[in-house]
This record gives sequence, C-alpha cells and structure tokens, in this order.
Amino acid sequence: MIKSLPAGSDFLFIICLKKLLLLKPMEEPLSQQYSETEKHRIFHTEFMPHINSMHNFAYRLTLDADDASDLVQDTYLKAYRFIDSFQQGTNAKAWLFRILKNSFINDYRKKSKEPSKVDYQEVETYYNSDDVNRQITPDLRVEALQDMIGDEISNALNSLDVDFRTVIILCDLEGFKYDEMAKILDIPIGTVRSRLHRARNLLKEKLTDYARKMGYKNT
Amino acid sequence: MPKLPDSSKTFNCREMLQKILDGDATPEQQQQFKVHMEECMPCYKGYELEMAIKALLQKKCNGHGAPPDLIEKIKNKISHITPH
Repeated sequence: MIKSLPAGSDFLFIICLKKLLLLKPMEEPLSQQYSETEKHRIFHTEFMPHINSMHNFAYRLTLDADDASDLVQDTYLKAYRFIDSFQQGTNAKAWLFRILKNSFINDYRKKSKEPSKVDYQEVETYYNSDDVNRQITPDLRVEALQDMIGDEISNALNSLDVDFRTVIILCDLEGFKYDEMAKILDIPIGTVRSRLHRARNLLKEKLTDYARKMGYKNT
Repeated sequence: MPKLPDSSKTFNCREMLQKILDGDATPEQQQQFKVHMEECMPCYKGYELEMAIKALLQKKCNGHGAPPDLIEKIKNKISHITPH
C-alpha cells in the first residue's frame, strides 16, 4: 500500500502523523502513550498485585492448575502489550479480569470439553417467573454448611456451568459490583442479576445434595 | 389520597435479600432489611444461610493463588520486552 503511493506523499504522511500525535492526547482520551518506565511502573504496582485473585479465577475457569498458570501468563503479557489502552485511575482489577475472561473464551474454552453455553432465554424466563419466589426458606440448614469442612463447597462450585460459576466468583469471592461484572462479561446488568440469582439457587441445590449425603434429614 | 406510612410500603424481601448478597443494596436498604428480619423468620433464616454460603466460599474457594515461580516467570518476561 505504502509502496504504491506517489512521490511527494511523504510530506502528506508526515503532516498526518504530526496531526495525529498532536491531537492524540486531547482527542482520544481512551488511549495514551506511556513511557517504558511508566509501563513498568503500572504493570508492577497496578497489575501484579492482583495475580493471586487472577490465578484463582483462572483455576476456577479451567479447573486445571497448569492451564490456569498458562492463562494467567497469557493474560499478563496481553495486558502489558495493550497497556496504552488502560486508563490510570480506573479499575485495573476489572480490566485484567476482562482480558482473562476473553482469553479463556477464545483460547481455552474451545479446547475444553465444557458443555455448550447456557440457554439464557431460559434463565431470563426463570427469573421473570414465579419460580423466583420459590424457596423462600431454603431447605438447607446453616448447621449442615458448618459441617462441610472438606471440598464440598469447592466441588459444588466447580460442578456448575462455567457461566454460573463465573458470576459467583466475581461477586462472592472478588466483590465486583453489577456494573463491573457487566463490563467484565460483556452482558447487560439485568443478565448479571438474573444469572447470579440462578447460580445461587443451583449452588444451594448442590449443597443440599451434599447435606443429604452427610446424613442431614429434612435438609 | 392518604399517604401510606413507611412500614406499609411494598417491600419485596426476596429481591432485597438478593440486592444485599450481590452488594447492590444501599445502607438504607440494608437497615430496612435488618428491621424486617427481626420480625420475619423466613427472611432471617434465608439471610443467615446465604451469608454462611458466602463465608464458606470465601474460606474454601480462594486458595488457588499464583505459584511463586509463575510470578517470577511473568516478571522476567516483562523485563525482557525491549522498548520500541
């Protein structure tokens, strides 16, 4: 393309480039150019502190320690490569989680044997139906939960479909708010809410099964 | 039309419980739910159970932090990226 430009267009190109560089900080506040020193500082002080949460999230998505480490490494390298699109002062953790989730969907989910996506229409219908008020007093008892000192809760969480698992992790383990989860997952806030509701009920069903197996009657 | 007193406002406790669990309830809504729980056993039990599940999740499902060698590996790779 550049080769085919007529002689003299170099001048035009330089003008355009100058204009672009001059206008960039003013007109495109969403992307900036950090110096190498700034990049390293942001990476080490804003990104690296989230590595344990990131690894735990990756493990809960892939359910494999090695895959989780690969996914975290890929995510951090991507985050560094695209660091200019990170706005200082915004939520670095949410930004990183979003990259990790996208990498998982694009690179790992295809490989794994995860069942296909949840039927969200069904989720919405469920949420909007009277079922939402079902289980006003859940059958599960707190005492049964207190006896779950092994891997019961972890296994219950891992057994949920990955989309349900994800919202539980983001909300209950990482404390993200609806708007942050919506951005991380690229779904509307209403879907975050309904998916969380459904996920909590599914998790309770699993835990109720465990409680029964542990000998809790009428759980 | 007479104004209804606050206590008779429609109060969907299931929705409110979810808002609290999801971290979306305002301090006023949390206080309102707290008052409501004192006179509503199903809500009290529901809240206790949900909070116990949340606590169990935080205690048991948070243990897969990054291995130290991964942290070193990433730092190493970043430090070797040449400036352009």
